[in-house]
Amino acid sequence: MDAIQQAFVVESRELLQAMEDNLLQMESSGGDAETINAIFRAAHTIKGGAGVIECKFIVEFTHVLENVLDEMRSGTIKPDPELIEVLLACSDQLDSLVGCVESECEPDDEVNKASVALRQKLQRFLGNPAAATGGVVPSEAKVEVSGGGGEMETDNWHISLRFGHDVLRKGMEPSAFLRYLNELGRIVHLVTLPDGIPDADEMDPESCYLGFEISYQSDADKAKIDSVFDFVRDDCLIHIWPPHSKLADFISSIEELPEDTMRLGEILIKCGALTQQELDQALSVQSDRSQETEAQPRIGDVLVKQGAVTPEVVEAAAVKQSKVAEKKSLESQLIRVQAAKLDLLIDLVGEMVIASAGANMLAHRSGEAALVESTSVIAMLVEQIRDSALQLRMVQIGDTFTRFQRVVRDTSHELGKDIELVISGSEAELDKSVVEKLGDPLMHLVRNAIDHGIESPDVRVANGKPARGTLRLNAYHESGSIAIEIIDDGAGISREKILAKARDRGLIGSGQVLTDSETYNLLFEPGFSTAEKITNISGRGVGLDVVKRGITSLRGSVEVESNEGAGSTFRIRLPLTLAIIDGFMVGVGKFTYVIPLGTVVECIELTEKDRVETANRQYINLRGGVLPFVRLREQFEIAEAAGRRENIVVVQYAGQKIGLVVDELMGEFQTVIKPLGSIFKHIKGIGGSTILGSGDVALILDVQSLVALATVQQNRGQTAEALRV
Amino acid sequence: MKKILLVDDSTTILLSMSAILTKAGYEASTAGNADEGLTKLKGGLKPDLLITDLNMPGMNGIDFIKEVRKLPDHKFMPILFLTTESQQAKRDEAKAAGASGWLVKPVDAAQLVGTIKLVVK
Repeated sequence: MDAIQQAFVVESRELLQAMEDNLLQMESSGGDAETINAIFRAAHTIKGGAGVIECKFIVEFTHVLENVLDEMRSGTIKPDPELIEVLLACSDQLDSLVGCVESECEPDDEVNKASVALRQKLQRFLGNPAAATGGVVPSEAKVEVSGGGGEMETDNWHISLRFGHDVLRKGMEPSAFLRYLNELGRIVHLVTLPDGIPDADEMDPESCYLGFEISYQSDADKAKIDSVFDFVRDDCLIHIWPPHSKLADFISSIEELPEDTMRLGEILIKCGALTQQELDQALSVQSDRSQETEAQPRIGDVLVKQGAVTPEVVEAAAVKQSKVAEKKSLESQLIRVQAAKLDLLIDLVGEMVIASAGANMLAHRSGEAALVESTSVIAMLVEQIRDSALQLRMVQIGDTFTRFQRVVRDTSHELGKDIELVISGSEAELDKSVVEKLGDPLMHLVRNAIDHGIESPDVRVANGKPARGTLRLNAYHESGSIAIEIIDDGAGISREKILAKARDRGLIGSGQVLTDSETYNLLFEPGFSTAEKITNISGRGVGLDVVKRGITSLRGSVEVESNEGAGSTFRIRLPLTLAIIDGFMVGVGKFTYVIPLGTVVECIELTEKDRVETANRQYINLRGGVLPFVRLREQFEIAEAAGRRENIVVVQYAGQKIGLVVDELMGEFQTVIKPLGSIFKHIKGIGGSTILGSGDVALILDVQSLVALATVQQNRGQTAEALRV
Repeated sequence: MKKILLVDDSTTILLSMSAILTKAGYEASTAGNADEGLTKLKGGLKPDLLITDLNMPGMNGIDFIKEVRKLPDHKFMPILFLTTESQQAKRDEAKAAGASGWLVKPVDAAQLVGTIKLVVK
């Protein structure tokens, strides 16, 4: 596939998406002229593009579609649900045709049949039953696939000609001049003006009363055309108006003239806008006038009044004369870049961050102030480069959200439910690679909400809710991560049902007491499904555990809140980027760990008193609140004894605060995330690794799982304490 | 090198035309819609020729041509418009707005370059 075909595929996909959105909007709110126009334009542009890449099957298909849309645009065909259904099907069909271009193969029989069927349906809307029943084979369809025989036209000179009355007497023949004109170029159009002809009894047969307005095409310059009329100039009124393109020539040659001081007339003659005769005439008028009045009219005004040049050309010449410098501002534009190139850039920036940290460290070690100064400047720049490089990959989540309009519509129709999709926070940005991987989990959750969450209209009405259910997709930023919510106002999730099923499946013991969030988390256990019957929408044998796995692989988390009877909220949290983060470096014994800076709230010292008090418990009193903590030394089984001093780094994830007990606080550090091998997968609390400036490897803490761990520990601890009491 | 500004909402068209133009020795810059085109023109871009589509989202081609003609710098730049609609009315309207001529899509290389040679000297 060459670059143009590739561009066509990408563009067509975008247009089809827009077309679909507009069709859905038309279906829900009737669609104004602009919506219909936008749909037409999408089809039109796809057809145009297909023409360029000479893809016949798309041109043929779009041709009929375009006709129907055109009739809709002009109001001949009114949009009704049936038509919109067909148009949506057409958009799908186009998508598969574009897929054929993408995979560089001809559409197979099935696709062709679908094309034919859809075209027949479209023909019916065009009121063309003959074609509809004719069983048209695609290749026989007559479509103007251009072989390049397009039309073109450039504009013309305009010559306004009024012959003097004495022309004939002087032995001149007006038609001869027109013939001569035709030798220099081509008279495109000529209008004879009989207005000047007097009544028959007053008419002098030897006088010429004719006037002509001529459209004229010629490569000749103005002086040359003007010279045609050399013999009749004195008696005639001649105006020669250049074509737009000629005017442009005049202007550009005015601009290209050397920066000499010149008279206006000279400039105009030099650029070819004015003939010497015209200037002479104007000059004499000017001097005549100046005798009559005090003020001498400006030559430019005289020339314009004479009709020798247009005001614009005079203006340009005047501008040239006064040599006004022009300001040039930067062109603003969008550039499409291949994702692979960006990835490479990010990789390199990552290496640069590491290298710069290394240089910085060596500089500090050398103790040379100037060197330290210059490396820290470099480090600052590297940081800025890193941020802008990462920003390049950021895309808005809105496009991903709007894709679900169609899913919601189709799925709810299929299930006989009435559901409205409300989208908010479309402008929240996140890494493109994250967005791409987010599609499947989101799709699953949306389908799940439609299928299991929102009830059918009659049930809703019976429960005193509006018949139409609402599904919300919302996104917002929150301390270094993005949260995406899928909110439905459906039946909510029954705790009892979950618990009963979990006991059934042996996921929990019979006497176990679970918190709300623990209960809901059971939904994400493998093989858990609470829907009684398996429908073909969700529950295809894969459960929400797949969603959880997908999100976890992106270093994210997913949680559920539910209010039985009022609906559920699924909340996905994802890191903004997968490549480089700001980290906070801490030391435990001789090991170094990195905590994502976005999660760090504060650092406090674990005082001697606290150390004694907490010897047997996993929480401290932080300003009157309970702060559960995790001792990294214990967590990672570091054999050495605790350091002389310990600190607590307070981190927060998903609204939950915990402390991490470490020895040393080492400060901020730009962290390039390197993935860990799969053998480390089972280690809880580690999210990745990074390379320090010294070349040493440090582990990046997975705050999310540490928070979960500490919370569980705390709950257990509290239960144990409660039992002891 | 002569500069040509292409304005079309179809990337495919922009890409194919700029390929043809570059091969023919012109410097092509592109804009995906009328507003972008205007921004470029106001921003100091001085093309020797403007080629624009008529049917575009946002500002349509005809209004675009009118707006361009209002810019002092571009009053006389030749403007060709692209159309697949063979309706005379649209063409006349575009010409009245200040266009110099038109090309019928899809444009083939020889025809495009031939026309450009007619208007850009």
